[in-house]
Amino acid sequence: MLSKNQIFVVAAAALMILAGLVMPYWFSFLVTVALAKGLVVLGLVILMRAGLVSFGQGLYYCAGAYAVGAFSDYFQTDNVLLLVLVAIVCGLVISSIVGLLLSRYRDIFFAMFSMAFSMILYGVLVKSAALGSSDGFNVTKPSLFGWAAEFNGTNLLSYWVAIILACVAGAIIWRYMRSPMGMTGEAIRENEIRVEYLGVSVQKIIYIKYIIAAVLASVGGSITAMTVGHIDPEMAYWTTSGEFVFIALMAGTGHVAAPLIGAVIFELMRTFAFQLSPYTWQMILGIALLSIIIFLPNGLWSLTDKFKKGAN
Amino acid sequence: MLELSNVSTSIQGTEILRDVNLKVGKGEMIGLIGRNGAGKTTLNRTIMGIQPANKGTVVIDGQDMTKAGAHERAKLKVGFMPEDRRLIPALSVEENILLPAWANDIKEAEARLAWIYELMPEVEGFAGRKALQLSGGQQKLVALARALMSGVHILLLDEPFEGVAPALSRRLLEVIKTLKDEGLSVLLSESDYTHSADLVDKVYLIERGSVRLDEAS
Repeated sequence: MLSKNQIFVVAAAALMILAGLVMPYWFSFLVTVALAKGLVVLGLVILMRAGLVSFGQGLYYCAGAYAVGAFSDYFQTDNVLLLVLVAIVCGLVISSIVGLLLSRYRDIFFAMFSMAFSMILYGVLVKSAALGSSDGFNVTKPSLFGWAAEFNGTNLLSYWVAIILACVAGAIIWRYMRSPMGMTGEAIRENEIRVEYLGVSVQKIIYIKYIIAAVLASVGGSITAMTVGHIDPEMAYWTTSGEFVFIALMAGTGHVAAPLIGAVIFELMRTFAFQLSPYTWQMILGIALLSIIIFLPNGLWSLTDKFKKGAN
Repeated sequence: MLELSNVSTSIQGTEILRDVNLKVGKGEMIGLIGRNGAGKTTLNRTIMGIQPANKGTVVIDGQDMTKAGAHERAKLKVGFMPEDRRLIPALSVEENILLPAWANDIKEAEARLAWIYELMPEVEGFAGRKALQLSGGQQKLVALARALMSGVHILLLDEPFEGVAPALSRRLLEVIKTLKDEGLSVLLSESDYTHSADLVDKVYLIERGSVRLDEAS
């Protein structure tokens, strides 16, 4: 039997899938890219709940996107399931190697090392002519066994895939957060020594969390690549990783839905800020973040707690 | 069960423990008595692997664990109740107690939890509350309950009566007495004999990091 919350999520997902048929293209595009970024932020939130801030999730976001681009180009395939799978494997392989080193570090060292690895990928891609150097290259539009899901001239497949993946990932991470391993994240953030003497290998837990976050970031990158149709090394640049941290701070870490909803709000805010003030839109975003930090230090999601308290 | 041979531990260049020899046999309750600053907590932390020993050996259950990390020692079913309780505030009382069971893959976790609740029924009364909502005394009880979850073989109790109201001290004492009757190996650290005099089989005195057996005990 499904719980009330599960029924609500399934209904909301179904509604959003149907809404894609009538919503304007710009909005479905915005939501798709936002959900892709939301998946990256969801991974970041897992790390943040364990007291780690990564400034290098761009590494996996970019690696996932490039894996999709290179694979579809080399094997001449546009199958969305296969491409997402390739991104997952790519994130898994890279993070299981990089994670061996990073899981030993904490605080600023973790943040800087993660950023360094991301910048190494950026440097490699910029110098790599075969991968389009700083211009990047185009990625083919996805299909599901040849079906491109074209409605009124709009390719809705990426949008639908993004919604389904966001729901599935959200549900899995929600379960994970409530599992003993998920809960140890909070314990590690509080004090990792006490977790060690209870029999938990903190390094192993962080290693696993790092891999989960990397896989989510790779999936996010793959969706972005298929939606935008173009990839470039900027996806690995530190400002991209900073954007994920920005969304995480803005949304809060209180619930798995927070990063997904936060990413949509961020993209909307950025779109309208850019339209309103093309030369100073960053200032609008900065003021928004500053206001949230001052008035809602636990992020936008903390508003739900306030509403709940108010209702009681 | 637990044997320390010539163990020395330094913190930031200062030698805190000096050539410590100590033995806790199966089913024994051993007292470790020393004033504040004598090195009791460092000794407990060295046994648990939180503070690495500079020299000497730490043998638990016949295995040389000198180089092993804290989590590996805990897997040998050693329970540790630190002086400052150190519960995880965001988790509920029951989640705090069950965490070692999950980490150490204790199969009989539910039966052990039921045994702990039987031993300390008051803990079951607030099992659903967050650890941060508990009073200091309640936290002590939960810390003991958590140590009992993993401490199937050996239990290290670091000043369990420190800063606790007399009524709760008596309650803790009752529980520890029951543990002795159950045949658990316990190392009980205290600053004086007030609570442990009638409980312990042997007493080690610790002074400025040196440990000797109290022949009178």
